Amino acid sequence: MIRSIAQKEFVSIRRDRRFAGLSALVLVLLLVATLVGRASFRTLQQERQLAQTTVNDQFRNQPARHPHRVAHYGSFAFRPKSGLSLLDGGVDSFTGSAVYLEAHQQNSVNFSQAQQSGSLIRFGEMTVAFVLQLLVPLLIIFLCFGAFTQERETGTLRLLLSQGITLRQVAWGKIVGYSQAVALVVAPALALAAALLFTGEEFASNTDLVARLALFGLSYAVYFFLFVVGSVVVSATQASSRAALVTLLGLWIVGGIILPKATANLGATLYPTVTKAQLDADVHEQAQHGINGHDPHDQRAAALKAGLLKKYGVDSEDKLPVSLAGVQMAAGEEYSAKVYQQHFAALNATYERQNRLSDWAGLLNPYQAIRSLSMGLAGSDFAHYVHFQQAAEAYRYGLVQRLNGLQAGMGYGDKERRLDAHTWRELPVFSYQAPSLGWARPRLLLPVAALLLWAAGLCWLGLRLISNFTDL
Amino acid sequence: MRVFWILFAAEWRHFRTARGLVLLCGLLLATGVYGIYYGTTEIARQRQQLAALPELTRRNVDELKVKFPGPADAGDIGYYHSTFAVHHPDAWAALSLGLRDVNPSYVKLRLLGLHNQLYATDNANPLKLLSGNFDLAFVLVYLVPLLIIALGFNLLSAEREEGILPLLLAQPIGATTVVGAKLAFRLTLVLGLAGLLSLLGMLWARLPLDGRVATWLALTVLYCLFWFGVVLVITAWQRTSAVNAVALLGVWLLLVVLVPSLLNLGVAAARPVPQGLELTIRQREEIHGGWDRPKTETMNRFFALYPQWRDTATIRERFVWRWYYAFQHLGDQAVAPLAAAYAHGLQARYDLVERLNWLSPAINAQSSFNALAGSDLPTHLAFQRSATHYHDSLRAFYYPFLFRQAEFTHADYAREPRHSFTSLAEVATARRGLPTLLLSVAALFGLGLLLLRRPIAPR
Amino acid sequence: MTYLLEARSLRKQYADKLALRELNLQIAPGEIFCLLGQNGAGKSTTINLFLGFVQPTSGAAFVNGLEVAVHPLEIKKHLAYIPENVMLYPHLTGLENLALFSSLAGFKYPAPALLDYLTDAGLPAEAAGRRVGTYSKGMRQKVGIAIAVAKHAKVLLLDEPTSGLDPKASNEFSELLRRLSGQGTAVLMATHDIFRAKEVGTRVGIMREGELVDVRPTTALNARELEQLYLTYMH
Repeated sequence: MIRSIAQKEFVSIRRDRRFAGLSALVLVLLLVATLVGRASFRTLQQERQLAQTTVNDQFRNQPARHPHRVAHYGSFAFRPKSGLSLLDGGVDSFTGSAVYLEAHQQNSVNFSQAQQSGSLIRFGEMTVAFVLQLLVPLLIIFLCFGAFTQERETGTLRLLLSQGITLRQVAWGKIVGYSQAVALVVAPALALAAALLFTGEEFASNTDLVARLALFGLSYAVYFFLFVVGSVVVSATQASSRAALVTLLGLWIVGGIILPKATANLGATLYPTVTKAQLDADVHEQAQHGINGHDPHDQRAAALKAGLLKKYGVDSEDKLPVSLAGVQMAAGEEYSAKVYQQHFAALNATYERQNRLSDWAGLLNPYQAIRSLSMGLAGSDFAHYVHFQQAAEAYRYGLVQRLNGLQAGMGYGDKERRLDAHTWRELPVFSYQAPSLGWARPRLLLPVAALLLWAAGLCWLGLRLISNFTDL
Repeated sequence: MRVFWILFAAEWRHFRTARGLVLLCGLLLATGVYGIYYGTTEIARQRQQLAALPELTRRNVDELKVKFPGPADAGDIGYYHSTFAVHHPDAWAALSLGLRDVNPSYVKLRLLGLHNQLYATDNANPLKLLSGNFDLAFVLVYLVPLLIIALGFNLLSAEREEGILPLLLAQPIGATTVVGAKLAFRLTLVLGLAGLLSLLGMLWARLPLDGRVATWLALTVLYCLFWFGVVLVITAWQRTSAVNAVALLGVWLLLVVLVPSLLNLGVAAARPVPQGLELTIRQREEIHGGWDRPKTETMNRFFALYPQWRDTATIRERFVWRWYYAFQHLGDQAVAPLAAAYAHGLQARYDLVERLNWLSPAINAQSSFNALAGSDLPTHLAFQRSATHYHDSLRAFYYPFLFRQAEFTHADYAREPRHSFTSLAEVATARRGLPTLLLSVAALFGLGLLLLRRPIAPR
Repeated sequence: MTYLLEARSLRKQYADKLALRELNLQIAPGEIFCLLGQNGAGKSTTINLFLGFVQPTSGAAFVNGLEVAVHPLEIKKHLAYIPENVMLYPHLTGLENLALFSSLAGFKYPAPALLDYLTDAGLPAEAAGRRVGTYSKGMRQKVGIAIAVAKHAKVLLLDEPTSGLDPKASNEFSELLRRLSGQGTAVLMATHDIFRAKEVGTRVGIMREGELVDVRPTTALNARELEQLYLTYMH
């Protein structure tokens, strides 16, 4: 019986010209977003790959130089776009793409897309995720708001029930029918996106990406199902189609527009952060005077020198087999990097606290759950960005310390000498490996739980509400 | 006219009893107040952060005074000393934060090459940047239209669906009067709310009451009128409440979400901006190449730009600061065309959006609000130019020390130029938005009144 | 002789259906004309044409000598209308609804006068201060009657006005119509109630498939004969 009702809904939706128009619009937007996403993905990816190759070549082809010159020459890390970011750009447009890696300091990641767009970017970006997260639910609302109210208004609901089926069966039939209709609109676009993604040579056999995409599709299926069930429940409990529609649209506006902004803003107000200038000054201060304030840089340097002289059993710097400047540089870098890591971790912990408000809001608001899940799967969320920052800093630190090591090995009077050009070819260049799904998993648990909770809650509580709703 | 006021008064009684709508207006008022609170506290926070910067400079100077207790080589000072170019917000930015969170509000500068310092960003939570600012402009541009839609989607269709319309139309009153009175009541309500919020915002943020007050209010009124025009046209179209709601939300979605995001894509494609990546890479090559080039070549290129230092001593040392700073500057010179192209590209994007903002009154209103508050891209570009000039003046301050080999004493720190830049309101840009809005309002009301001349179906 | 209501070759063609075929009708002051006919025979279309709610395909309707299509607002000063199902603003009281509609028609009555209109129409005085949302259909119908009476119109257009009224209220309504007719009001009433048509009407017209097929003065027939005549036309 559920099947006959589902069949009836599916048929009548397909015959509805308004549905055809709206779904064509959504489908076109999805296709446009996919193609645009792919085009911009390719451009940005090529740009960044080219830039990375250029700087890597430049690094390898340096002439004979002193290693500390090379440390100041440094390198760049360009953040490659993740494969699925063509579907969900996440925070990518608001994060920088390039960071200059040099000795003594940790630079900011610069040149974000948002800085190149003017205030237009504030209206939102046309990505597949945007269509899936906000527009498809709207389509579902338009589709389902009359599920029960219309049958009640035309009196067909009494007729249906007089045939001996229960309200709950009617509801399930409608849910199944509407879900089929939604799948009809969304599935082709997602299939096309997958095809576009995997025909590109760069991802041909990437199992991590396949897993991410599969989960991506699955999460959206759950998300859409939520909206179908929710709309049907609201339709059953409202007195008129108008009331049902207005209620659903109100929920959409609160969940899709007001809450995400409000929670993000509230988070920033509750947990303030320091400026980069302040952070750098604090790091510098602590590196100079010691983390506890009683271990000044000069004393550390002197102790290091004394230790070295003692170790090698000599009485002056010029008799040391190592370059004192190189060893001291390495120790200084180690110390300041440690201080920086502490401050950077504290800063990111504050950001995490700010964002946690949005994450927990996912329990109240499925849009915020799917948004964070989708970004996480696409590799374009805050955590993936921090991963890149840390990889860049790790590379910077490793490179600078290797160069300091080379300098130390040059012995006394290293400043007058240079190392051969071939030395630079043996140093590793920056090559970023995006983290796997397993790495991202812990952060995805909360949004997944929120979505499943919503699904279970709606199916159980909502449908109970329907069957208790005796007012025809 | 008498009938108009009777209907107007009746609308007030209907509104009072519709608890949902009263709640909605209360909600809008609350979100508006939150928006004002957020905007003012955000600007206060930025001001506080900017106010802390001179202290950082002072700490840096203190450290240098310890490091160089006596007269020092200005080259050392230029290398270790950092100062800030500061972009102070205009008080109006509290109502429309614009891009003040995306773009940094200060640049830390040393005497080194400018272009690997100028584009540094500040710490920011990208998720918050993505979510955007909950300021008064957001409430006016995004949420007020939704309130207008909620108030107007069943303007006449509610009466039709409730069966009251036949009795109403059996009275000697015209359709325009009925619709006009209903619209006028809602307009009064919404303009009252928007005006109240605007005035509250202006008082709260302690804005200077200059000509911008009128421009802001005119923008607000016209933007609201635009949405009432849409409601009028949809009402005159005479469909059911549900169809009206879908159509109105569709228009909202189109103008507030789809057109801006598609325009953003279009503009990015039509006005490609040379990437900043290339600029920074080139600059590094130029500067570090300076170490390897013959010193006379570097200095001759530099003297071509600054002939006043041509008569200074020929460099025979292995390292001397004036040579170092000369090739730093030559590095900037080498990428100056790229930097100019980058800035021009961004400005061209902005200009194109401004020229196409008739496509969506939401873009028009938002960018006009931002222009009034001086919180959009052009202001940031102006700040970058100002920071560039500051860097020039820093160089002008240090060059005599470097080239005349004068000693840098503790007293000289205080003589170093300081920088301060406050956002300038682009009132002209904001005012340019008004006629466009006015025109679209007139077009909508014309169309609506034309459609209303058709008889109103009572059922 | 001036007619308060007149139809001249009035015709209404919908895309798929001829709703009214060449109607010619004159109703004089004090006359009560009852239209009988099945659902869809064209009774409501006729009333809607006189109200200006529907535009004629050809021909013209006149109210108090004014052509409806030319003076859509002016004619409404001269007529009052009671639909089959009177719907009012549910969150206003009966009294407030009456006050609102009367003021729209240009009358400003003090509260006691409004209450009199409502009680005269048969609404219990205690109900007048309650919200219309709590009213039964019959009570709303009575407010509708009060609104029509308070307008002091020369013409009364009634579309099955007594549906939902109990027999006693219907009877009182008939009394009211007679009183108004005595004051010179012209009444056009669509109804299914043959007995009441005979009792209150001065003339009855029988409509079938958009055509006025017969018009008789009620004095010429008794109720049984009228029913017989009606049934012959319906077969």
